Amino acid sequence: MAAVLQFEDLQIKLGTRMVLDRLNGSLSGRCIGLLGPNGSGKSTLINTLLGFYKPFAGTAKVFGQSVQSDLRGVRSHIGYMPESDAFIADMTGVRFVRYMAELSGLPAAEAMERAHEAFFFVGLGEARYRKLGTYSLGMKQMAKLAQAIVHGPKLLLLDEPTNGLDPEARQRMLELVRTIRDAGETHILISSHLLRDIEDCCDEVIILKEGRIAALCNLEEERKANLKFLELEVNQENGFLESVRALGCECASFGGGRLKVVLPESIEVRQLYRVALEHSVQIRRMNYRRDSLEDIFLRAMSDGRESKVATNGRL
Amino acid sequence: MAVYRRSYSAYKAAVTPRWSRFTVLARYGFSTLFESRPFTAYAVICLVPFLGALVFIYVVHNASVQALLNVRFGRPPLIDNSFFLAFLGIEAWMGFLLTAWAAPGMISKDFANHSIQLYLSRPLSRAEYLAGKIAVLATLLSFITWIPALLLFEIQAELQGGGWGWQNLWLAGAILLAATLWIALISLLSMAIAVWVRWRIAATALMIGVFFLLPGFGEVMNVILRTHWGKLLNFPYVISLIWAHLFRLPVQELGMTGFNQVPLWSAWACLLALCAFSLWGLNLRLKAREVERG
Repeated sequence: MAAVLQFEDLQIKLGTRMVLDRLNGSLSGRCIGLLGPNGSGKSTLINTLLGFYKPFAGTAKVFGQSVQSDLRGVRSHIGYMPESDAFIADMTGVRFVRYMAELSGLPAAEAMERAHEAFFFVGLGEARYRKLGTYSLGMKQMAKLAQAIVHGPKLLLLDEPTNGLDPEARQRMLELVRTIRDAGETHILISSHLLRDIEDCCDEVIILKEGRIAALCNLEEERKANLKFLELEVNQENGFLESVRALGCECASFGGGRLKVVLPESIEVRQLYRVALEHSVQIRRMNYRRDSLEDIFLRAMSDGRESKVATNGRL
Repeated sequence: MAVYRRSYSAYKAAVTPRWSRFTVLARYGFSTLFESRPFTAYAVICLVPFLGALVFIYVVHNASVQALLNVRFGRPPLIDNSFFLAFLGIEAWMGFLLTAWAAPGMISKDFANHSIQLYLSRPLSRAEYLAGKIAVLATLLSFITWIPALLLFEIQAELQGGGWGWQNLWLAGAILLAATLWIALISLLSMAIAVWVRWRIAATALMIGVFFLLPGFGEVMNVILRTHWGKLLNFPYVISLIWAHLFRLPVQELGMTGFNQVPLWSAWACLLALCAFSLWGLNLRLKAREVERG
């Protein structure tokens, strides 16, 4: 599959400050999370993909098209939901979204039809004839999403989509993002401070720190790898460790009966119980260990250097 | 996507040609402007001078109507370059007020709530955005300046006969060029002011101030510095100087003093510089994102 986003030594300089510094990488996930602390360059990266900022050096490509040489082509694939307010206050919701659809190239009749559909999709069907200036914050967020998806883009850029939403609205927004993702026709790039949002929706994550890539992580692979990663607590080791190793598992002891075990594909958990029985060892606790996104994020933040964070099930 | 299903699907049908996208801006611009009743009423009022001139030309050429209305011209009034310049002058100033009213609203709404980034995130360049907005003003101003003026020219040519139209064809060119210069100047200037002064009322006030207060500043400059170049800050004077030249009229006939004080080339240079300055201002400000310095 062709990469959704590619960066080659991408550098963005605003004034005298290097905001993005030598980004390299390729992302091809269906839903890509963009993480990083404030000022790490998340919004700058999105703005660069939209052609709002010109690269100081290097290139950025969207679906193989360069944002420098084929900006119109790139923009024709993109739907953008900005972080800040973005609307025309005295326009009705549906007229605004139709307007944006027509600017994206939809003929007037189709634009009207899809504007209505988009409004119903985001749950604002009943409010579509109200002026945008009268919308609540949550409704404005939904209207922004509607204008971003109305033309059916191949890549949806969502900058802090759950900002300022109450828990219920946040869940609804994430549900919509998952629905768009699962439709399988649109790739999504979500920038967010909320790790939980990213974890809920994304299969790939890029973590920025001080304008550099601190981590590129495939969450799907990570999840699969972690399925076979076990943390055990036993009352005594008593030859248990050696027998588990003899089965073909990687195994490490951390004292006090705490063990970490990586199961190969061919080994079932019940075989561990059998070995424990043979050695009269009680297994008092058994957890599938899962590297949370928070672990990955914190590791990337403390590491400080570009790295491919993936435990791959190794100890 | 479908309303009843409330699901999402991509759009895969044909899209409009890329070159035509700026016309969407123009279409929505018109529809927004004419939603305002006062604006629509004023736009209609702008056509009153045309109707007046039309009736005047008809009466001048129709003796029976003159008799019916009991109108007697001691000497038949001449429909000539002075007449057309006067007509264009009236319409131009009505168009100026129309622009000062309409232009700031067209831009400030896009900047007030940052929707400019939504326009520019689509396959639409800044130049096309500007073209779409200016197309609204240019079309409106055309309908109250050169289009009625050329219609009057054609009617006069028909009623006068005797090859008047061919003999005065240069006048049609002068009307077109003079109106185009005016439209370009006030469209660009009003857009540039609207982009920099995002508060609508302030932008309208500044636009009027540039045309009516700046000349006073220019005169003060003339007196203090004992020069005459301050006249170039008087944009109505500058444009009148150029129009007088285009309409082949001696500038003294226009009833304004000081016409000989600055050369014609400086008026052209001032006009072009003002347009270039407006474009520069637009280029600086018309962006989806402000670049932070430092």
